[in-house]
Amino acid sequence: MGTPTARIRNFSIIAHIDHGKSTLADRLLEATGTVAPREMTEQVLDTMDLERERGITIKAQAVRMPYRAEDGLEYELNLIDTPGHVDFAYEVSRALAACEGALLVVDASQGIEAQTLANVYKAMELNLEIVPVINKIDLPQADPERVAAEVESVIGIAKERCLLVSARTGQGVSEVLEAVVNHLPAPVGDVTRPLRALIFDCKYDPYRGVVVYVRVFEGRLESGTQIRMMAGQGVFTVDEVGCFRPGMEEVAELAAGEVGYLVASIRNVRDSKVGDTITEAQRPATEPLPGYRQASPMVWAGLFPVDSDDYPDLKEALDRLQLNDAALVFEPETSAALGFGFRCGFLGLLHMEIVQERLEREFDLELITTAPSVAYRVNLRDGQQLEIDNPDQLPDPSQVVSIEEPRVKLEVVTPREYLGGIMELCQERRGEFSHLEYQAGDRALLTYDLPLGEIIHDFYDQLKSRSRGYASMDYELAGYRPEQLVKLDVLVAGNSVDALSTIVHRGQAQGQGKRLVRRMKEVIPRQLFEVALQAAVGGKVVARETIPALRKDVLAKCYGGDITRKRKLLEKQREGKQRMKRVGSVEIPQEAFMAVLTIDR
Amino acid sequence: MTADGFPGPPRSLYVHLPFCRRRCAYCDFAIAVSGPGLQDRYMGALLEELVFVAHSGAAAEPLETVHLGGGTPSLLGPARLARLMEAVAAGFSLAAGCEVTLEANPEEVSPAAAREWARMGVTRASLGIQSLWDPTLRWLGRGHDAALALNALGWLRESGIPQVSCDLMFAIPGQSTPAFLSGLDQVLQFQPDHLSCYELTLEPGTTTRRLVDSGRCRQVAEAVALEQLRSARARLEAAGLTRYEVSNYSRPGCQSRHNLNYWKGGTYLALGAGSHGFLGGLAAGALGLPVEGARGVRYWHYRDAATYVRVVGQGSPGIRASEQLDDSQLSLERLALGLRLTQGVEVGEERLLAVSRRLAAHGWLEVEGERVRATPEGMEILDRITLELAAA
Repeated sequence: MGTPTARIRNFSIIAHIDHGKSTLADRLLEATGTVAPREMTEQVLDTMDLERERGITIKAQAVRMPYRAEDGLEYELNLIDTPGHVDFAYEVSRALAACEGALLVVDASQGIEAQTLANVYKAMELNLEIVPVINKIDLPQADPERVAAEVESVIGIAKERCLLVSARTGQGVSEVLEAVVNHLPAPVGDVTRPLRALIFDCKYDPYRGVVVYVRVFEGRLESGTQIRMMAGQGVFTVDEVGCFRPGMEEVAELAAGEVGYLVASIRNVRDSKVGDTITEAQRPATEPLPGYRQASPMVWAGLFPVDSDDYPDLKEALDRLQLNDAALVFEPETSAALGFGFRCGFLGLLHMEIVQERLEREFDLELITTAPSVAYRVNLRDGQQLEIDNPDQLPDPSQVVSIEEPRVKLEVVTPREYLGGIMELCQERRGEFSHLEYQAGDRALLTYDLPLGEIIHDFYDQLKSRSRGYASMDYELAGYRPEQLVKLDVLVAGNSVDALSTIVHRGQAQGQGKRLVRRMKEVIPRQLFEVALQAAVGGKVVARETIPALRKDVLAKCYGGDITRKRKLLEKQREGKQRMKRVGSVEIPQEAFMAVLTIDR
Repeated sequence: MTADGFPGPPRSLYVHLPFCRRRCAYCDFAIAVSGPGLQDRYMGALLEELVFVAHSGAAAEPLETVHLGGGTPSLLGPARLARLMEAVAAGFSLAAGCEVTLEANPEEVSPAAAREWARMGVTRASLGIQSLWDPTLRWLGRGHDAALALNALGWLRESGIPQVSCDLMFAIPGQSTPAFLSGLDQVLQFQPDHLSCYELTLEPGTTTRRLVDSGRCRQVAEAVALEQLRSARARLEAAGLTRYEVSNYSRPGCQSRHNLNYWKGGTYLALGAGSHGFLGGLAAGALGLPVEGARGVRYWHYRDAATYVRVVGQGSPGIRASEQLDDSQLSLERLALGLRLTQGVEVGEERLLAVSRRLAAHGWLEVEGERVRATPEGMEILDRITLELAAA
């Protein structure tokens, strides 16, 4: 028999990177005896190497901790760890939706950071109870008083309610557990009603198929239950239900209020969509849980192996990553400059970077990534509409009536003092102001309508730098609109390089072209010949740079002792040369294909 | 090299004498600035290594060249040098007409010293002049002025040493093109048999590099460096000194045979701190180096003179490490080194010849049968040309 619902607490930890979320989670696992001290590895919950290294959580996790409270009763605490980046905002919102409360961890010297705020607001929208935890109070520069006052003024939680903790030393950790029991509400839910369980994450296990992370809101889930995905429509029979302690542990059932996993011979993560509601096939619920959104790629880029022999390996690696990443989509692509590769769709740039890094690290592939693009709709003279996610697919201008670009509704939460700079940024990115609302404390909620293509690249970084990191953002797609869009081509020594084409607003074509060829001049080494770099729109050159020919390159002295060094250098150069891509007679290093990403606006 | 193109028995010996009065501002060599105590111990260790190598059987053929390099070999003084020369002659068999080169700095050259060197068998003196513009000599940290350098050159010429070579540098920050060319002309008055004309290389860790990196001196513009190189070459050739390597010019028959051997991929023995040797499998095995079927082995000694002395004292030849070269590495070296010579290099493979012909069409190379050689234009960008061929 499971724990009575009244003694279950489902909560997550909201924290800025480096504010000690993982360390606090580790201490909670230790204090409740869920993980024995000798089994502790740093950041138990972040299992991917990449997560440990970057200090970020990419996949959500859930762990069940038994806890005997000071009232003498045994409680079941479910900690749901959430990803922490705007690319994964939707996943975060679903993980939060699985909870009744959240610990807000704030660094005692840094104070509240913007990314944290965004998640706090999300949690508040979902009616979560928040317990503020001021961490790192053992550090010399800690100022818990100031930070508590900040929590009160910004979030509106009385400063007396802040817990003072050092996750590093363990000070205050028992108070955190007591606060979870005493201040966070128990879940409510009727076990007798038809099953409704929220999918907040899933992972692919090569032996068991998809492991689905669920929060049961109503009804119960047990082995043998025939379930239906309410959005995805798939029907499966549950083989096993269980919880994480932190390893997978089978239990008899998951009843309303509980968090755990189910295994049901699901072969594909696409059949278990985050945010979907699981119900019973025989006795379905009438309404799904609120908030489901189809996760669709926002950003597209080409991934090409540096060594074309690696193409089959890249395909296999993408197949394997996709097993565990429902948001990743890809299809074969051919580029005249880069050969065979794949056009891949991502949630955002961080997602793209993560996929790229995992491919390089876990599958030992060397890749060239082309400039990211969004998907455009192209209206043709013959009445057809094309959707293109690759600038190179843009038909001849004579066939095109109009090009529509995707727009987003962008919401920025920021302290008021940064409003000016942020509005300026939005204007620069062709944004249209829609709404400004002042909120409690000195916060403002700014809403803009702007092209998706303008925010995928360095918008987030710009937002952070113009608000000293305090502003946070979230966005959702908000339809398409025809714009004066043109294809900006790059010609290297007169040859157009397909992989370098981008779609830009007509008004920005020249400026962008100039920055692009200037950047390329920096990354393409001097060649035996002078090389012209041109940016062109529809055959008309809008910017030009010249890489002068190499004039002098010879080692002055090469005697007995210099030969080994010379040979090694030559071997290294030869390897580098063989990895370059050839356009006509010009050799282009990989960085050049990413030049668009590394230009300053 | 043997007839089949693989490294044969060594016929050259390099001896490193690392001592200098001071470190020049541009120098990153294995040198030691220290007193006579270490010099004596060093000579002891060097002779010990010499005896070890001589007895190892690594030198199966008479030596065609001996090169005493530095550092500043002339700093050793006649007595030590004479002992070293005797030891070389006793340990190895020297072929008739063996080229014996001594590197010298102007400070140590006197009419008497030069005659002494000639008497002990030095056939070729290589004088480090570098510049004949006093402010530049000071900037380079040299220990002599222009007048002393010219005197030294004159004394060497009159000493009876059959061949005299000079080192000059160009592309030195602060030395104008006319100053450089005037220095060159003054040297040519003495009709040297050989001249090495180097572009100043700003090696990492050197004073000159720091001065340029920190912005206190401006690096010579590429166009100016090229102008100096081209003018120098024209004047040298007009004076009868033909370019035979990137930075080396000589009268007919007066090329440095020792250095030619490096560039032709030949083998050579090395003695002393920081020195590098290259041996075929057989000779390397005789020295006790790992061979494992490799046809060529490069090896090098401890760079620091005191460390070298200590290691040799423990009964080893002072070799720090070695590497075995496979056939493809050997051919890569042969290509890269051979192209430095104006006579070029034979390339057998059609793949290489095809790329060579493409480069020849632009005037960087000349192809004659299987022989490929860089033109003066190609020499200016030789490293890139070599890379094109290496990656063919």
